[in-house]
Amino acid sequence: MKENIVIIGGGIAGMETAAQLLDLGYKPIIIEKSDHLGGHVADWNRLFPDMSPAADVVRSLASRVSGANIFLNTEISFINKLKDSYNIMLSNGISIVTRIIVMATGFALFDASKKEEYGYGVYDQVMTNKDLEHWFNTGEDPRINDSAMNAVGFVHCVGSRDEKARNTQCSKVCCITAVKQAIELKQKFPDAMIYCFYMDLRMFGKKYEDFYIGAQRDYGIRFIRGRVSEVSENIDGRVIVKAEDTLSGKPVKATLDLLVLMSGMVCSQDSTKVANMARLPIDTDGFLKSRDNVMDIIESPKEGVFYAGACTGPKTVPETLAEARAAALKVHLFIKGLE
Amino acid sequence: MRERFLTGYNDFVLPFVCGMLFVIVYCMVGLIRIIMQLPAADRKRFFISLVTPKTAIRNIKDIFLKCLIHVDLWKRNKLLGYMHSSIAFGWFMLILVGHIEVLLYTSDLGPKALYYPIFFRYFVAETETTMKGALIFFLMDFFLLVVLSGIALAIIKRVRSRLFGMRRTTNPSFLDLIGLYSLWSIFPLRLLAESFTADISGGSFLTKSLNYVFTEFLSNHANMLPAWWAYSCALGVFFFVLPFTRYMHIPTEILLIPLRNAGIRIVNARKGFARAQVYSCPSCGLCIDACPMGVLKGNIKDTTVYLNRQIRRKNESRIEEISDKCLLCGKCTAVCPVGVEGDKLRIAQRSVRHYNFGPDYSNIDISDQINGCNKFVKNTNSFVSSTGNERVLYFAGCMTALTPAISKATCSILDKAGTDYEIMDKDGGICCGRPMLMAGRLIQAAQLVEKNTGIILGSGADTLLLSCPICYRIFKEKYTLPGIRIVHHSEYFDELISSGRLRVTKGDVRYVFHDPCELGRGCGIYEQPRNVLSAAGEVVEAEKNRKESICCGGSLGSLTLGFDKRKAMTENALNNLTAASPDRIATACPLCMSTFARYSDRPVEDIAMILDTVTERPAARSAGVRPVKGKTDN
Repeated sequence: MKENIVIIGGGIAGMETAAQLLDLGYKPIIIEKSDHLGGHVADWNRLFPDMSPAADVVRSLASRVSGANIFLNTEISFINKLKDSYNIMLSNGISIVTRIIVMATGFALFDASKKEEYGYGVYDQVMTNKDLEHWFNTGEDPRINDSAMNAVGFVHCVGSRDEKARNTQCSKVCCITAVKQAIELKQKFPDAMIYCFYMDLRMFGKKYEDFYIGAQRDYGIRFIRGRVSEVSENIDGRVIVKAEDTLSGKPVKATLDLLVLMSGMVCSQDSTKVANMARLPIDTDGFLKSRDNVMDIIESPKEGVFYAGACTGPKTVPETLAEARAAALKVHLFIKGLE
Repeated sequence: MRERFLTGYNDFVLPFVCGMLFVIVYCMVGLIRIIMQLPAADRKRFFISLVTPKTAIRNIKDIFLKCLIHVDLWKRNKLLGYMHSSIAFGWFMLILVGHIEVLLYTSDLGPKALYYPIFFRYFVAETETTMKGALIFFLMDFFLLVVLSGIALAIIKRVRSRLFGMRRTTNPSFLDLIGLYSLWSIFPLRLLAESFTADISGGSFLTKSLNYVFTEFLSNHANMLPAWWAYSCALGVFFFVLPFTRYMHIPTEILLIPLRNAGIRIVNARKGFARAQVYSCPSCGLCIDACPMGVLKGNIKDTTVYLNRQIRRKNESRIEEISDKCLLCGKCTAVCPVGVEGDKLRIAQRSVRHYNFGPDYSNIDISDQINGCNKFVKNTNSFVSSTGNERVLYFAGCMTALTPAISKATCSILDKAGTDYEIMDKDGGICCGRPMLMAGRLIQAAQLVEKNTGIILGSGADTLLLSCPICYRIFKEKYTLPGIRIVHHSEYFDELISSGRLRVTKGDVRYVFHDPCELGRGCGIYEQPRNVLSAAGEVVEAEKNRKESICCGGSLGSLTLGFDKRKAMTENALNNLTAASPDRIATACPLCMSTFARYSDRPVEDIAMILDTVTERPAARSAGVRPVKGKTDN
């Protein structure tokens, strides 16, 4: 089939869309800015709720898209709208004329240093959820000292549901990610006290609630309802966290060896950049705007441009994969309509 | 001197005489009311200041320079200044010269004194040749021309306010318009009326010439009386509406200046000094362009000029809305030509709000805090005498607690300078009280002030260091801390650099300094942070800076302004800052810093963070031995 299909983004959304299209007999093109496929999932260690290894997900998807045209280390220089198609100029000098674009540009992790009061980048013993996954993967991080891990805190909703951080949306996955990471840390350091500071817990997905109850019952993780007000550092480099326990109505203060910030999902700047090139609208939450947020979440207002995954808002891995499959089907039907 | 009429009276003087008597009575009653409304101590102080030669001279000088010459407006815009001083000073001189003329040439005035100085030309039958020299006639025509030129400019200003350096101006009320049109018509009518009589009772280059040129019309004496009636009516209308229009500022300002010079402050939200301020507002609208909320058109009616108008109308719901919305940046106060304090006026309105409940801080236990920062007391004299230096108590404050990079950098600089210091709120402090004060909750603010005073006095420190201008301002204004010097970190760092206690390496980064409202307009500190910055790199200036700096939009002052609304203000302030394309934005306020950082396209830092990165750690400096006087390096 001669119709070009351009998938922008080689994360799990882009890969799954490509894999489905390959199965349908098309030969899609994946454009990925980094040097590897897999996006954020490739940086993760294990996935909730069954602790399945993230590497397996990426590996299986990668093997399924091996037949696609994949451009790594490639960015989009510009997009020209032709009469009924797009001319996409890539940073490697190749230009593609296509009638079909799948935006699988995903999200960016909120820059935790913007919430300066939590001390990321200011105090030594503060890290993000991503840094922790990196440590799970590699075992290398100067902040984690195996012999002195007595108390660890997790701060939920860092840059999510936070007007002052310019993100009012819920990032959906951080509640359960914090529970998962808390359990994993407890498994590594059974003697450590682990606290989660949350404003409320949104355990909406399959088996999430069980996971959360298990974290309390089986692992003794302490959940404290109340936002962290400020973080400071004492003389030996440990962090002091002040929060209010809104259930008991009392202020709490904890001295911790490590503080993990659950950075939320925000629309990536690259995603917005490509959307601007293709003249796609941005929704009020900062993510790409769908034709309809109920019926047509994977369709853009532009003919032939489709969305898959977290470029339209925070999503879990299974949600992203489901959307990617739906997008592939939409592309297939669109091509059929053209013939 | 020959008079044209034996009686020396004509009915046309009645509108003017009635109007003038009305205004005088109204103003006298108002004056007595305002003075009676002052607290007894203030009233006494006011009367004493009136008879103290120093303040009396200052009063006269200020009234002359501000009410007649409008020096502040001259500084802002020459055309605007000329327009106001030509009308005010010109009119004043017409009245003055008119009186001199009448007193020189008329004896046995009696009740005629009420209107003779105004309508003299109608009643005399002498000319400039018979009245010993034409100087007075010339002066009268000259000042009439001056006023007319001012009126012409005022008419142009209505249409093209930009020529006068004003983007937006006030929307006049109905009565303001009547006052405005009657004021505009007074002087052309006077010219017309005096031109009619110029061939009978003399005139000068203006009236006489007109009389010659339009001799057909102006020499027809049947037209004379209607012109004088019209002139008198215009004056009468102006005087009758004056108390209910913005022109009330003319008499009120003459009272406001001595009140201010006596050092009187707003106590009651609506009475006394506050009332004098409200009535002194000339509705010029300079505060409209100054207001940072003005970037959103919907907020224009929430500026100080409209607050004053609503207070005069006693429109309580609008007064509340306007008072609560304001960011209290104080820029309207800084630009106001008559000195209406928009921010303090609003705090006063907030303070009379009735709350059903309020927090009570009077029973907070501060013993832990006192024990937490008593290093100077414990170590007593041996330590103090060995260093011979100041004992600094550093109060970071809650805003700095949210921006830990600032407090970390500040402590690092203090270490490098070898300062003996103690952190007052390392384990959580008590609010300085400024947010409560801004919200008009004066009792709560006073309770917090009392608690902090206890901790500071118990610490044994002799210097209180602050990195937050919000704290700094209330410590300066409302705290009584005998023997303790209160410094903002920008002042302290400036001293450390100039005394050679810090080794600074100058880089080539271009910084722009944002003047925080509370530090600049609030406390008058403009130079020290710039000195610190210029030690670290190159300093460029924002388009509007210092006194005219634009609020970041993050201010604690506003009680109702939403986050979405503030965004436009922050972006506007950022555009102003980046006019000279600096590499980095520097400020000296944790709240400004975090507000700008949210939307800025380039790094935003506090001067402490900048200074810390360019300051070397001394190689080996023994803690106690340091020369107190003299520099250690060149």
